Amino acid sequence: MFTWDLLANAVVAGILLGGFYAAVSLGVSLTFGLLDVVNIAHPAFVILGAYAAYVMNSSFGLDPILTGVLFTPLFYALGAGVYRIYYSSFERRGEESLRGLVFFFGLLFIIEVALSLKYGVDYRLVEAAYIGKSIDLGGVGIAFRLLVPCVVGLLMTLALSLFLSRTFYGRAVMGVSQDQVALRLMGANPVRIKTIAFGIGIAAASLSGALLITISPVVPSTDRDYIGRVFAITVLGGLGSVGGTLVASIILGVAESLMATLFGPSWSLAVSFGILLLALAVRPAGLFGR
Amino acid sequence: MRDVVAGYGAVRILHGVSVEVREGETVALLGTNGNGKSTLIKCIMGLLTPDAGEIYLESDGARIDLTKRSTEEIVDLGIALVPEGRRLFPRLTVEENLLLGAYRTGARADIDRNLPFCFEAFPVLRERRRQLAGSMSGGEQQMLAIARALMSSPRILLVDEPSVGLAPILVTRVIAKIRELKDRYQLTVLMAEQNFNQATKIADRGYIIVHGRIEFEGRSTAELRENELVKKYYLGV
Repeated sequence: MFTWDLLANAVVAGILLGGFYAAVSLGVSLTFGLLDVVNIAHPAFVILGAYAAYVMNSSFGLDPILTGVLFTPLFYALGAGVYRIYYSSFERRGEESLRGLVFFFGLLFIIEVALSLKYGVDYRLVEAAYIGKSIDLGGVGIAFRLLVPCVVGLLMTLALSLFLSRTFYGRAVMGVSQDQVALRLMGANPVRIKTIAFGIGIAAASLSGALLITISPVVPSTDRDYIGRVFAITVLGGLGSVGGTLVASIILGVAESLMATLFGPSWSLAVSFGILLLALAVRPAGLFGR
Repeated sequence: MRDVVAGYGAVRILHGVSVEVREGETVALLGTNGNGKSTLIKCIMGLLTPDAGEIYLESDGARIDLTKRSTEEIVDLGIALVPEGRRLFPRLTVEENLLLGAYRTGARADIDRNLPFCFEAFPVLRERRRQLAGSMSGGEQQMLAIARALMSSPRILLVDEPSVGLAPILVTRVIAKIRELKDRYQLTVLMAEQNFNQATKIADRGYIIVHGRIEFEGRSTAELRENELVKKYYLGV
């Protein structure tokens, strides 16, 4: 039964979902969009972050999003380490395109399997005071479990955008894939710059994992739902454009929410790939690509 | 630099080259394509490690061996290169390119002074500060490449082939700018160039490099002009 209320609710839920999708995609926008590293293991780090939030919540009653923030230095270090291995094993030898892809694909499965062995394949969830609460704005319900991740996602987008445009490291990150020799002539070490950027990308992934488990329960294989989504968002937004990532995330969030409301939730994944194909056909540079 | 030998793999380009640039000088490194000018500059910047010979920077009584330093460390010493082919960041704006020029620690505090100066020296860059560098004309890109090097507050400016790909009128303008900037900043300049007439307009003296060897050292531009090699190769006499 279609009503305007239903439509309004679907759109609002989609926008809120979009803020969260931006959080999940920011890291890929950084690593794939700006560093040219096809990090398809990104969603696995999201799930790893979700499980960190789950463990701290179930063991110590710590708030999931607070856990996500507290764990970012650890995941930054993890990401920096992963990039160093990737660099010395593949990128330095110019073998990154295919073997690098296999490396990240393997990493994705190792993380997924390790989580399954340790925590099983049951759905895990977190508890917090705001989960389950909502406010009603003239017939449109806003669930806090969606609102809080959306706000955090927007703050993350703002922070990354400021980092890239206002800091010396950020500008070097934007230039690093364009000309590495030129970057060295500016006095910046490209490997160091990429290590920092990759660390930030993985830290963002882990924080978005804490948001994910706040929104809905998680199993180790949840990462697979996000591979298509994050790359669709990154390409649609324009490679390396943080603002574009946010806009594309909201477009995808609203599209998925409408599809789920009108035709059922099983269609929602088809939406991301449909949008990806459409973007590649009509505007390959993305909405905000340079 | 003294007796520098360098090349790529089995191909030897420089066969024992010695070049000296004193503080405050503008020295031209003259030679046609394929004689080793760019290779020599790459050695100075640490982009290529010489097989033999020494390259050092003497300042305040200290002697720094550049062959043991990375490119980043050499830039940090206050040596900036305007590279051949300009090597801008094409998908960054003019302003972002300039700010990246000020990346080295010693230059960041000078941005408030250097950025207005670059815009004053090259007004076109101010007009186009929000435009992507790759969308500008060749002459404008060359101006940006020079301005970006100046943003690093260099003591020594290396310029590799500033005239390549530019219309003659633009070459004259770019060369005149380099001189103007040198005077204002008290820069030391080493310029690799194949356009003899343009280079000798601003050089104090110069070297002629042929097949990876210094064939002639002119203590003044007049001496260079009188040289037989120059007459043969450049002036068509």
